[in-house]
Amino acid sequence: MVARMSIFRKANPGWEMGFVIPRLLLAIALADAGLRALPVDPLTFRAWEALKRFRPPGAAFEPGRRYYNPQAYGDLAALGNLPELRQYRPETFTTDVLGFRNHGGPWRPPVAAIVVGDSFAVGAGLNDGEDLASGLGRSLGCRFYNAGGMDPDPDRILALARRLGMRGGLVIHEHHEDFELPAVPTDWRRRYQRVLASLDPSVSEAAGRVRGLVAVSPLKIVCERTLKDLEDDRALPNRHAGNVVKGTLPTGDSMLFLPSGIEKFNGRRPPLITYWEWMQRELRRGGLELFVVLVPSKYTVYRRFLADARPAPEGAGDYLDRVEARLRRAGIPVVNLTRPLSDGAGETLESREYLYWLDDLHWTPKGARVATLAVGDALRLDPSFYLSSPSAGGAETARRSASRWRASSASQAPESTPDSMAETSRVSSSAAVRRTASNP
Amino acid sequence: MLFNSLIFLYAFLPIAYLVFWKLQGKLPRYVWLAVTGYVFYSFWNYKFCALMLASTLVSYLAGLGLLRWQDPFRRRLCLVVPVTLDLALLGFFKYANFALTSLNELSSRWAAGSWTFTTFDIVLPVGISFYTFHTVTYVVDAYRGLITPTRSFFEFASYVSLFPQLVAGPIVRFRQIESDLGQIDRAEERADLNRGWSFFALGFIKKVLLADTIGGIISPALADPAQLSTAGAWLCVLGFAYQVYYDFSGYSDMAVGLGHMFGLQLPQNFDSPYRATNMADFWRRWHISMSSFFRDYVYIPLGGNRVSRPKHYRNLMLTMLVAGLWHGAAWTYVLWGGLIGLLLILHDLTSGAWQRLPLWSQRLGTFFLWVTSMALFRSDSLSMAALLLGRMFSSQAGSIPVGTPVLVPFIVVAGLFAHLGPNTFEMKHRWALASVAGLAFLFSLCVLVLYGSSSTPFLYFQF
Repeated sequence: MVARMSIFRKANPGWEMGFVIPRLLLAIALADAGLRALPVDPLTFRAWEALKRFRPPGAAFEPGRRYYNPQAYGDLAALGNLPELRQYRPETFTTDVLGFRNHGGPWRPPVAAIVVGDSFAVGAGLNDGEDLASGLGRSLGCRFYNAGGMDPDPDRILALARRLGMRGGLVIHEHHEDFELPAVPTDWRRRYQRVLASLDPSVSEAAGRVRGLVAVSPLKIVCERTLKDLEDDRALPNRHAGNVVKGTLPTGDSMLFLPSGIEKFNGRRPPLITYWEWMQRELRRGGLELFVVLVPSKYTVYRRFLADARPAPEGAGDYLDRVEARLRRAGIPVVNLTRPLSDGAGETLESREYLYWLDDLHWTPKGARVATLAVGDALRLDPSFYLSSPSAGGAETARRSASRWRASSASQAPESTPDSMAETSRVSSSAAVRRTASNP
Repeated sequence: MLFNSLIFLYAFLPIAYLVFWKLQGKLPRYVWLAVTGYVFYSFWNYKFCALMLASTLVSYLAGLGLLRWQDPFRRRLCLVVPVTLDLALLGFFKYANFALTSLNELSSRWAAGSWTFTTFDIVLPVGISFYTFHTVTYVVDAYRGLITPTRSFFEFASYVSLFPQLVAGPIVRFRQIESDLGQIDRAEERADLNRGWSFFALGFIKKVLLADTIGGIISPALADPAQLSTAGAWLCVLGFAYQVYYDFSGYSDMAVGLGHMFGLQLPQNFDSPYRATNMADFWRRWHISMSSFFRDYVYIPLGGNRVSRPKHYRNLMLTMLVAGLWHGAAWTYVLWGGLIGLLLILHDLTSGAWQRLPLWSQRLGTFFLWVTSMALFRSDSLSMAALLLGRMFSSQAGSIPVGTPVLVPFIVVAGLFAHLGPNTFEMKHRWALASVAGLAFLFSLCVLVLYGSSSTPFLYFQF
């Protein structure tokens, strides 16, 4: 046997470390490459990761996909590796041919408004039909196109508006308190965006597919998940726990927050509006009017209810109020959702119907409805915003709408102070919560 | 860039290796080694490449000067200028803020804050302690006539920026790889390839499987040492002793293995230190390139042991204080160096009695002293060190680290290999098929761990 083993070893001089280890590395690399051809949907916990993978440049998601997960859960529970705090819920997420979250062909003209912004505009954590654009469409009886998740570049928005057959109308730009405003892009950046906007759909789809294959590794996802399963604070310490902050509500429920959101709440950020002024100018060139929706962070809304909230410095949490006041002074239509959501959170707390998911950064369907009603109320101040006919002179209509909105806004809030504006919002928010409660 | 990263394994190493062996002749290979070193370094911060280049250039010119001039004044100038410059850079980047904050603390304590200094906004360049020592040893050895300085700038640049030893050692002296560099055009690709990969794989497994797993369990527990019970504190400190050993010896093995792949023999850095029978023996086995550096360039110039006994002890203490400070700009490191110095002096005073003890108790005693010193080494502050040592040496109720059921078997395995197993230089690196399969399995497990997590930096990067 020993002789046979030695013969075997002599016959296979390649079985040395210098032969085996490089080939092993190559085999793992090939396995990684091969697995990239497979879909990642079964490995994802929500639609966002699955549909972002093959996103063509300029689009928000992979076009023409429907994602369904009966056991989706929140991003913060995933970020902190806290399976015990997951709130499982079914999630249906459909994208249209342009790579945005719309179902049932809502891009057919006439489209009254385009909703752009971050994951709140997309409707992360919500099912199809529960997002801001869908809600506004139902509430106001016209089509709102959800373009959430796209680069908020005016050239791209204008190109999209043309593609949707809009000649005038509204761009609702949602902005979340935790996220930084994008910088006004350089000329180079804008040229790049224009090139992207002019790409043939098949080319951009191919580019998105290549990028997805390069950037997303199913093998990496599996390895990460396996390690996270082991790091359960029993076998191994959970090194992800510090990625989130746990707060306790009076109901006894634990709510998760982003540490950076808490820092931002406590910090004093200057309310810069250069970006918004630039965006308004650029959109008006194409006959579109800008309408800003300011979304408070979960911490801003729920901090006052937390049993273990850390003391905050004076003036903490007033960032959106200050942004709102400056936008109003600059004549940019805006609605600040801080008051409606804060009031709504207080009114629904006892019944444990939260406006934000306990395990997620984003709002629940109920929170989205409160937001939809508050935005809808603000838009009703001047229906010509979203009722501007495609045949009417778009730019002129938009300008007229904006001036009427300013006039009516000023008449409601003569000082344009955050407090007085907040009071206006508060009235509409209570009504919004009541209506939401009666119409689940 | 880290050796234990996917970009290193899948991009940097294959490109560096394949191009190196495609190139023929000395100069192209020197240039390529230098370029890869700078690329490797720039992955951390490209701006500090200029600092390394400046240090390299000054030492290279000093070497040329020493080659050309024989009169003592000029030779001394060629020694003093580059060494002063190198140490000044090291002093500024590593110790300036430490000195200023220490002065400020003194002021607030003894002079009611009557004078305070503003600290600098400094980023410590990774590996500055290591490449500074490379250039210093080169110039000092050239001055002493131990080496003949090279006329080839790229040969010298490839030595200083040699990526396997660039950011965390071993502190290779020019004379140790001079002949390999001199014959780099005649090196054979396959001569040491198996040995190189064997070293690399073993180091990789030591780092990713042993050191990182142990570190992942003890680090969260050590973040709040006040919560630890006596057993918990001992587990953490014992775990750290193995973590630091497997982390750094793993890195050194990888460096040696990479050296072999490029036809260079890097020296041994760890010689089973946990089998040492006393503290002096320990320091001959632990981080050999560093301890020999301090022996040759600090301890012996101070007079070594060829002086009176009090002066010998002074030399020992000064050397260990400097070695402690080299590890980091903090009083915990200085105190740790002082403690090691004290233990070396005590050993010298009691060596006769110590040697009469059974061998196993000498080893156990040495290891116990080392583990105790690790409490100081691991602590972020003197108050943490006092707290940790207090919990170790008194009966305290409290918690044990989360993951102790995993930590204990890992400590047992780590201990068995460290205390009883051969070190990588004692191995023949000719493996039977079953061993190759076992190592390949562990290696692939490590790669998959890298896939699933971000790479953990080596502990000695901070020094």
